[in-house]
Amino acid sequence: MTTLVLVSHPQLADSTSQQFLKESLPDDDIIWEHIESLSSLDVAQEQAQLRRADRIILQFPLYWYAAPAGLKQWEDTVLTRTFVYGDHRYPLADKELGIVVTTGMPRQAFQRGGAEGVTLDAALAPLAALAHRAQMRWLPVFPIYQFGYLEEPEKLQLVVDYQRYLTQPQPDSLANRQDWFAQRLDGMVARLAEDQRTTGRLIASVFEQNREQIDQLHDTLAMIKEQDDD
Amino acid sequence: MTEQSQWLSQQIDQLAAQQEKFTDRAFWLALKQVVAEQDRRSEQLGGEVDGRTWRPDRW
Repeated sequence: MTTLVLVSHPQLADSTSQQFLKESLPDDDIIWEHIESLSSLDVAQEQAQLRRADRIILQFPLYWYAAPAGLKQWEDTVLTRTFVYGDHRYPLADKELGIVVTTGMPRQAFQRGGAEGVTLDAALAPLAALAHRAQMRWLPVFPIYQFGYLEEPEKLQLVVDYQRYLTQPQPDSLANRQDWFAQRLDGMVARLAEDQRTTGRLIASVFEQNREQIDQLHDTLAMIKEQDDD
Repeated sequence: MTEQSQWLSQQIDQLAAQQEKFTDRAFWLALKQVVAEQDRRSEQLGGEVDGRTWRPDRW
């Protein structure tokens, strides 16, 4: 799966959250682009990139309940009517559109009655409408509230949650989560120092046993339910 | 949490603590959470199997 991450931020180098996310990028097939760094927008190249990707991520800080102006300019230039739907070819159809949005306010601000009085889903409605028009699949938004206040355990969690948002098949079920980790476990064990590999392999084997046990329990339950129906 | 899960959780914590790279540490700690979730799911599914098998009306 190819994931295209389009980052919009007017001062990327000054943003600790964006630098953190860049450092957290997984080793998978990821194309990363910072919109404001492009000296000019090569429409054909941008559109080709969109065609290549299976999952497209728009990543930005929330400025007045919307993406920064750079992203809007990119949309208005690259997403021409003919490209998105005009010729009825729908080149973006069935691709997934995900939004990674950072906010300066906490989670509870983004609800009715909260300090912002609007949910993120409501604020990002224009992008969801775009996904709908392009026949794309809209992913649940990935919000990062008040990055500056996150403690180390939360940041550690954010690394993997972000990686999974970029590369893990949806929906975010236990089965899909298990598959995601299973695909990476061998590689992660191989990265361990030699004296740690036995522990790593042991952890991997317990993980695998647990996975099989859950599968078996599902099978047993399905059998019981089938008998109950008879 | 079973004794085995507790032991495994400690093993993962130790392994994570030995990783120099932040993203490597993050991977192992996130895996620990999935293992804990596996435990919970197994227990719940096991409970459901027991519950559905225990049917005095079919005796």
